[in-house]
Amino acid sequence: MATDGLEFAGHSLSRASLDACVKCTICETQCPVAAVTPLFSGPKYVGPQAERFRNGESVDHSLDYCSSCGTCTLVCPQGVQIAELNSQARAVMKADHMPLRDKLIGQTVLMGKVMTPVAPIAKAALNNKPIRKVMEAVVKVHEDAPMPPPQSQTFEGWFRKRPTPAGPFPRGPVVFFHGCAGGYFEVETSKKSVEVLEYLGYQVIVPKQGCCGLAQQSNGLFKGATKDVLKLCDDLRSAGKDLTIVSSSGSCTGMLKHEAHEIMGVEDERLKDVGTRIVDMMEFLLDLHEAGELPTDFAPIGMKVPYHAPCQLKSQGIGKPALEVLRLIPDLEVVDSGAVCCGIAGTYGLKKEKYEVAQAVGKPLFDMVKATSSELALCDTETCRWQIQKSSGVRTEHPIYLIHRAYGLS
Amino acid sequence: MSRVVVIGSGLAGLVAANRLADGGADVVLLSKGIGGLQLGQGTVDVLGYTPERVTNPIKAVTKVDKGHPYAAIGAQGVLTALSYLKELVPDLLVGDPEANYHLPTAVGALRPTCLAQPSMLAGNLKAGSAVVVVGLRRLKDFQPELVAGNLARTELPDGGRVSARAINVDAVAREGEIDSSGLVFANAFDDPAFRARFAAMLAPQLNDGEIVALPAVIGLKDRQAHQDLSTQLGHPIFEIPLPPPSVAGLRLNQALNARAQAAGVRMVSGVRTVGFTADGDRIRSVRNATVPAEREYRADAFVLATGGFEAGALSMDSYGTVTETLFGLPLVGAENTPLIHGDYWGGEQPIFRVGVAVDPQMRVLGNGQPVYANLRAAGDLIAGSSRWSEKSGDGIAAASAVLAADSILKEL
Ligand SMILES: Cc1cc2nc3c(=O)[nH]c(=O)nc-3n(C[C@H](O)[C@H](O)[C@H](O)COP(=O)(O)OP(=O)(O)OC[C@H]3O[C@@H](n4cnc5c(N)ncnc54)[C@H](O)[C@@H]3O)c2cc1C
Ligand code: SF4
Ligand code: SF4
Ligand code: SF4
Repeated sequence: MATDGLEFAGHSLSRASLDACVKCTICETQCPVAAVTPLFSGPKYVGPQAERFRNGESVDHSLDYCSSCGTCTLVCPQGVQIAELNSQARAVMKADHMPLRDKLIGQTVLMGKVMTPVAPIAKAALNNKPIRKVMEAVVKVHEDAPMPPPQSQTFEGWFRKRPTPAGPFPRGPVVFFHGCAGGYFEVETSKKSVEVLEYLGYQVIVPKQGCCGLAQQSNGLFKGATKDVLKLCDDLRSAGKDLTIVSSSGSCTGMLKHEAHEIMGVEDERLKDVGTRIVDMMEFLLDLHEAGELPTDFAPIGMKVPYHAPCQLKSQGIGKPALEVLRLIPDLEVVDSGAVCCGIAGTYGLKKEKYEVAQAVGKPLFDMVKATSSELALCDTETCRWQIQKSSGVRTEHPIYLIHRAYGLS
Repeated sequence: MSRVVVIGSGLAGLVAANRLADGGADVVLLSKGIGGLQLGQGTVDVLGYTPERVTNPIKAVTKVDKGHPYAAIGAQGVLTALSYLKELVPDLLVGDPEANYHLPTAVGALRPTCLAQPSMLAGNLKAGSAVVVVGLRRLKDFQPELVAGNLARTELPDGGRVSARAINVDAVAREGEIDSSGLVFANAFDDPAFRARFAAMLAPQLNDGEIVALPAVIGLKDRQAHQDLSTQLGHPIFEIPLPPPSVAGLRLNQALNARAQAAGVRMVSGVRTVGFTADGDRIRSVRNATVPAEREYRADAFVLATGGFEAGALSMDSYGTVTETLFGLPLVGAENTPLIHGDYWGGEQPIFRVGVAVDPQMRVLGNGQPVYANLRAAGDLIAGSSRWSEKSGDGIAAASAVLAADSILKEL
């Protein structure tokens, strides 16, 4: 049974971890938000320190400036779940007065479904300054915030309409998870992932799938998010037991692997089952390579590209698999951004009052990207790609693009 | 290519990973969090007190007791490690293995250290020098009156004293903040415009011939920041390391991490390594507590650089039993009782010497034999030294890491 999100937020395991804090300040030195604004007092203060004074609502409202990027939890040598504490406290803080905007941008599927059939119009509207001004005023999404590129065809549409691949599929079936963004906006990433999997000899099964609830979770809407993530688990389990689930949506993978459990306290066999079977696309390829099962007859790509590992991938604790896999492509020089965060952190950087902060957070990354290539940048998660592309002006794609190309598929 | 797994990313783990990658190994660096470098001074202490103050650290290394880590490491091991460190971060560490610097601390004492950052060197003071200690009003971790007062009454290692006075400058590192961290100041000092404004505020307060002491916040990324500020002021300047967040330590941590990445080290951070599998006397793999399912990392050789008590590599239960938390390795020094005595101001606490015994290849020993043929230890985990009082932790970490790496490379 799923525990009630808000109740959990007050009595969580994360809270028990706060006593392990030795005040070493390591998290303080890595927080990308505290680095650029005095409005946020930093992970140590807002996390383990302020948590001691919380009995219900938070006493410290700068909490809302935490972007939930998860960097602090990752670097803390004492295992304090700082980012999780922050997300839980925010859910409590917002329980009664959630801005309309946070509710709206939590609804990713809805946004995708509404926008897809009218993509050209939606695109025009989203690029239209006066309309964006109105959006800024009414729902408080910043007028310059990056927006998903609407598509004229959904991934599902493509997958069902294309000629059924003949096979053979010597490696057997895998389930493909594309996430909402991969279904509605990042259609190319999903297509290319499927084509690479099929090229490798897998039969790709794509069950009908809803949203993982991440955007709602990061906006403190735990109830809706819990419902969505469990529904998604049912969807994915319907495709077959014990099958590996490959995902090209880095952030949703993180939600299924650990965030739903660690932040919202979802205790459910279905989540555990899906969470242990799901792997990130590049993690999957790296695992194959480690097992000596990845064909490496890649065509050379004479290019220098910047790569940014998004926070939500880093917090999965798998390192940066894309870097390792891309290194197998001859002549390709991949430069790790070394940057902490792009600033967007899901929906954080869209919000009017956070926009400037998010841009400042991402600035070192944007500068690095521009200095490295004017052609192409790579990053594993959708919203980060939109942010990097919008703010650096450099086209930004999922690493699968170059794998697809190096296998001669494009 | 042979695979080596290094566990822990403090000074020991980072040096081992770099060395192994340079030697052609395929290296995976596992760590549950950032190591101790940015809690330290950003210098490399080799040996500072035995307990007398040490002036020639290499000479002192040859004289340690049996059972001290340096007995297994040897002077040559330390020399190799120091020259390797200087190679790894050439613009960040300088110094002579045969001569300690004596550099002022944030309480105005003189601390012996072997390698230091170029921005700190003017702090190696001569008798008769005039020092002006400059505080930043909005930085609470550095009190210039305290530093200057203590510095003026300290006798230099070669005899003689310096004169010192304190002044304060109210530079605004970030608008809207009256209490900025060292890191915020460091970011500000990376900006040439801020440096120019700061120099303009400070210069009129300086007297001819004074050496300017500043908190170690003069830039994080810009390695020329201190040089530029010194030129603008027309005075030699030196930085004094601060308590955490230590910008000087951060520089070193960032540089060693970037170097490892450039050398092709694969880094997996944020997850604790919790288990292992062995085949007879060889470790086959270690397991990370990745959520929701553990991940296994196989390798031909392993370097355990997980630190000491502070990093969780050693732990003591309520019965006073000490264990090595990953492999359950045999420990020396743990049989001493009491491990902790109750006299806070009294002698050294025996618990600091607990750790694993190693041979000259840094293989972990049990009953005088390697416990696992392919498991080496480096850094704080090695028994036999009270690092904080000897000022020996950095030297032990770097040298044991280099020896562990070199002996692995020889075997692969
Ligand atoms: C109070 C104090 C003062 C000191 N003062 C001095 C001094 O003045 N001069 C001096 O030379 N030395 C001093 N030392 C010692 C010095 O700090 C250490 O010797 C040095 O930092 C050790 O580096 P290390 O790499 O061995 O360990 P650490 O820097 O502690 O790194 C350990 C690494 O291992 C990781 N880790 C631990 N367990 C696991 C696990 N299970 N799985 C994955 N990763 C793991 C940690 O996250 C970390 O990355 C002092 C120590 C203390 C406590
Ligand atoms: S890194 Fe962890 S232990 Fe250190 S201050 Fe932050 S929460 Fe506390
Ligand atoms: S380790 Fe240092 S800072 Fe921490 S409690 Fe002990 S004396 Fe205080
Ligand atoms: S989650 Fe990110 S933004 Fe929030 S405190 Fe941690 S590091 Fe800072």
